[in-house]
Amino acid sequence: MLSLIMYHKILAAVNEHLNSEVAAHYALSLAKELNAKLFICFVAGKGMSQNNRRAAEDATRRLFNEAIDLGVQAESIAEMGEPVAEIGKIVRHEGISLVFASTRREDIHKRFFTGTIARSLSLKLSCSVALVRVVHSGRVQPSKILVPLKARIDHVDERGRFAAHMAKTFGSKVFVFHTPKPIAKFFHGGIHLTPQEWEKRISNDIARFMDCLSRYKVEHEGRLLPGKAARNITIEAFAKRHDLIIMGASERNLWASLLRSSPVEEVLRETPCDLIILKPRHED
Amino acid sequence: MKINSLTKDEALRALVSTDEGLTEAEAVKRLSESGPNEIRETRKKSLIIRALHQITHFLAILLWTAAMLSFLSEYLHPGEGMMPLGLAIIGVIMINAVFTFVQEYRAEKAIEALKMLLPFFVKVIRDGMEKEVPSREIVPGDIIYLSEGDRVPADSRLIESSLLRVNNASLTGESETLNRDSLPAEGELLESPNIVFAGTTITSGSGKALVFATGMGTEFGRIAHLTIAVEAGPSPLQQEIIRMTRLIAVLSTLMGIVFFAAGQVIGRGFWESFLFAVGIIVANVPEGLLPTVTLSLAMGSQRMAKRRALIKTLTSVETLGSVSVICTDKTGTITQNNMTVAKIWHGFTVLDAREFTGSSSDPLLRAVRFCNNSKVIGNQYRGDPTEIALLRFAIDKAGDMQGERIMEIPFDSDRKMMTTLHAIDGLKLSFTKGAMESVLPLCTGLLNSGRTVALDEQIKKDALAAYHDLMDKGLRVLAFAFNDYSDQTPETQHLESGLIFLGLIGLEDPPRPEVPAALIKCRDAGIRVIMITGDGSRTAVAVAREIGLVNEKPLVVEGSELAEMTDRQLREKLSSEEIIFSRMAPKHKMRVVTVLKEEGKRVAVTGDGVNDAPALKKADIGIAMGLTGTDVAKEAADMILLDDNFATIVNAVEEGRAVYENIRKFMTYILSSNIPEIVPYLLFILLKIPLPLTIMQILAVDLGTDMLPALALGAEKPTPDLMKKPPRAPGERLLNRGLLGRAYLFLGPIEAAAGMFGFFFVLLSGGWQWKEPLAPDNSLYIQATTACLTAIIITQAANVFACRSAQRSVFVPGFFSNRLIFSGIAFEFALQFFIVYHPWGNKIFSTAPVPIVVWLVLIPYALLLLGADEARKAIVGRRRQRCSS
Repeated sequence: MLSLIMYHKILAAVNEHLNSEVAAHYALSLAKELNAKLFICFVAGKGMSQNNRRAAEDATRRLFNEAIDLGVQAESIAEMGEPVAEIGKIVRHEGISLVFASTRREDIHKRFFTGTIARSLSLKLSCSVALVRVVHSGRVQPSKILVPLKARIDHVDERGRFAAHMAKTFGSKVFVFHTPKPIAKFFHGGIHLTPQEWEKRISNDIARFMDCLSRYKVEHEGRLLPGKAARNITIEAFAKRHDLIIMGASERNLWASLLRSSPVEEVLRETPCDLIILKPRHED
Repeated sequence: MKINSLTKDEALRALVSTDEGLTEAEAVKRLSESGPNEIRETRKKSLIIRALHQITHFLAILLWTAAMLSFLSEYLHPGEGMMPLGLAIIGVIMINAVFTFVQEYRAEKAIEALKMLLPFFVKVIRDGMEKEVPSREIVPGDIIYLSEGDRVPADSRLIESSLLRVNNASLTGESETLNRDSLPAEGELLESPNIVFAGTTITSGSGKALVFATGMGTEFGRIAHLTIAVEAGPSPLQQEIIRMTRLIAVLSTLMGIVFFAAGQVIGRGFWESFLFAVGIIVANVPEGLLPTVTLSLAMGSQRMAKRRALIKTLTSVETLGSVSVICTDKTGTITQNNMTVAKIWHGFTVLDAREFTGSSSDPLLRAVRFCNNSKVIGNQYRGDPTEIALLRFAIDKAGDMQGERIMEIPFDSDRKMMTTLHAIDGLKLSFTKGAMESVLPLCTGLLNSGRTVALDEQIKKDALAAYHDLMDKGLRVLAFAFNDYSDQTPETQHLESGLIFLGLIGLEDPPRPEVPAALIKCRDAGIRVIMITGDGSRTAVAVAREIGLVNEKPLVVEGSELAEMTDRQLREKLSSEEIIFSRMAPKHKMRVVTVLKEEGKRVAVTGDGVNDAPALKKADIGIAMGLTGTDVAKEAADMILLDDNFATIVNAVEEGRAVYENIRKFMTYILSSNIPEIVPYLLFILLKIPLPLTIMQILAVDLGTDMLPALALGAEKPTPDLMKKPPRAPGERLLNRGLLGRAYLFLGPIEAAAGMFGFFFVLLSGGWQWKEPLAPDNSLYIQATTACLTAIIITQAANVFACRSAQRSVFVPGFFSNRLIFSGIAFEFALQFFIVYHPWGNKIFSTAPVPIVVWLVLIPYALLLLGADEARKAIVGRRRQRCSS
């Protein structure tokens, strides 16, 4: 299964919050599946209280012990300084291919994550970044993964592989979900197409993504539902009780996001299950 | 793997918590990350935004434009009455906005009802001590205490329990209480015995639980989110009005441009041409349409209320008429929800309940009486309907029996049975009641004529055959067994083994008598009815056959099968002619509704539980049960059945179809009068004659005289063949070519001819010469415009009768069958008399009294309109007959 492996070194960024520890568990499980090395990293920022530092160190220790118990090659790193810069240094120095970091609740209230560590990590790191929003601690291992896709996506191969890896890690089924823009004419109004008719309009990128899942023998199913992307994604996740959503990071700039809003932001705010926002860096 | 499959220690580790609970500091930190444990109204639009929407939709924008153009005209050419017109149009927009806003605001209370199901305070362990904290401060990792009567604040994994039982009705719709314990269990979270969910109730026992999901992350939050976020989309009528508005906007703008250009070409000044272009545009806008549609829907909803269907959102009145699929519950909707014992299999024979005789020492009657949790208080039976039916049966047959209950193993939906131990007449007897598949394997003997015989394979076969036979009769069948422990002390774990089979009892919930006829009506009307029931397949099929819902062997899909199906597979199943969904949970309903809607069907669905709310919102028409429905279901629904009766749904559909037909009728009526309003402008521009009809006079028709007759058309009774036609196709237009052609090219021109005749009759009688200019205050000119207006009123009075049907003669439904028409016409003429003969009317509408002869010469036009339309109907009818033969 060597061809599956793309992420040889995975870093999980941990802090004093429970979210980061849960997010790191995704990294740990993926590292085990891919036989990758896991770096558990805690960066103590300026002015961090003793209690918070202790909580983060405890989390790092727990994760490290768990990794060892699972037979995952692990290394824990504790640094002082500005988290994004320090993690950036580690990524470059160790040749990390994927970083897992959790989003904070305060992040979801900021438009386009402006000024958040999550956004900085996603923009500034040279490797792929998986931002994890933890909302449900009861679904320890996801069995149903929802992957919403736009019609045209970049890094199709990496996105496909990441979803395939995650599905294989947890033995999950992947539900590829696409929300096309409804068809309407000025005088006619909305035109209803049946799911079969929509399927004929499926984009090449989505077809490629699904091919990728088939190639890796991941059980999957496709679904198209026209309408508003964010609303449809959350309704689908709520209605079908999905355990995890994997989305691509928003590619809209601040201006476009303000004008048309960002589906990723909306899903981040309302997701009923854990959400991974992947910023892929590996070229197809 | 989910938290239910972990051991207590693993679960605590996964949530980084301990037996001592969280520290206060950690709880505060987690609260900042997970947010408060509360139901949030996501995506809720502010009141201002929602109010603004009511005045900024497409038709409102069209009306705003017309009002602005009126003000502009008033500014450019004062004294032409454009200011009152602009103000009147704004009045129309505002009245309609307030009406619709109040309707919508009232319809959005489902979430408030949901919030009431969560507790306010919770006992929790923090810093190793028991504390009471507000429920909204609960965080993942908290350990909460649960005891009898508590409502669970958040989704939690039990870590300790003592005889804990919960009622999950708010989530699953099932009223039976369930045993819960703290042992690890595999399977889905929702069915797991070690999980308790937010919004559910602890009915007995106590326990400690580890919170793993709060607020919108809980199952309860899931229902809330779906209830808020799921939308059925714009109703067919809303879509049609948008389309129609766009069409009218483009048409009137084009006409305005053409008239402006024509004015320029024939040498009218720029501003003069502009003013007349504005006049044309305003004349084209049907100002009265919006209030007429709204009032007509309100009248429709009143008629439905008289037929026991309470409409919550006005547009649903019309949507009902377009329904092509009804997904209905069985119990209470198709059946009477009135359980009675019907058949008994006892001693290898099936007896009718009336034939069965027994005494208080009969073991079967004892089992029926004692293994029962319903009670008689005074003269009233209290408890589950099935248990009440059994208790009533036992008391009817053997009178009251005395015995003391020593022990109970409660009913459990996994075990599907219950057992009780009693001291009766010095004996110690256990009784077991439950599903055949649960009870029969526990039995070793069978009681036959007072003797116990070994339960061999043949007897088991006979018992199973009887069981299937009773189920095929549409009965809910329960098996009964007992054991005698008089000479021993039984242990709980042995109570349900080595039992002696007593027999089977089949309970009947008779169908409502109106249902078979209602189903025939549905079939004739091309409406598909799909039964979605929690009952077993055989019972569901038998009931469906009895009421005539299915004829052949229907396809039966059970809830567990549905859960495994992909959407594509479900679509394929739904394409079968006859399909029944059995053993379904409310959570499955929304999926069925969604797939049907994706296929382009217009779906009505019934529901009563909290968990039905998302499906009720998703469907085009959500129908809640008025008698048995929860507040949440009622708030989420578009319509409430006051009698829970399926036949009422069909009646409401019939009314809905009638409303759609009636909207078409009054649209024809309203649009017809646009032509006599436009033609005067055309002739004014093209023939350079004085303007035959002023803007204020147009307004008098659109917002005055036309209103009540149009509303009377909205009150036409359903025609007999209305439920013989298939539902209208989603692509069928409200404003189709036929309707537009009849209004604009047939009825309208006759009215226009009448108007122009009246105008020239007065002018020429008064000595006017062709192309002689007349000042706006010239009394002859004012009389002539009054005559033109009067002609429109007279022909519109005939038009009301013509518009009562597009195809049938005015005499077919009975000339006097809609008395409101006469009231409408009386109002129309009263208003016209006021306009023509009262000084105030003269002043407001620039009119003057006209002699009686003017009225008389215009009457033939009314007769012409009626006669011409009767002739058209006859020709079209004959052609249609020829085509069909």
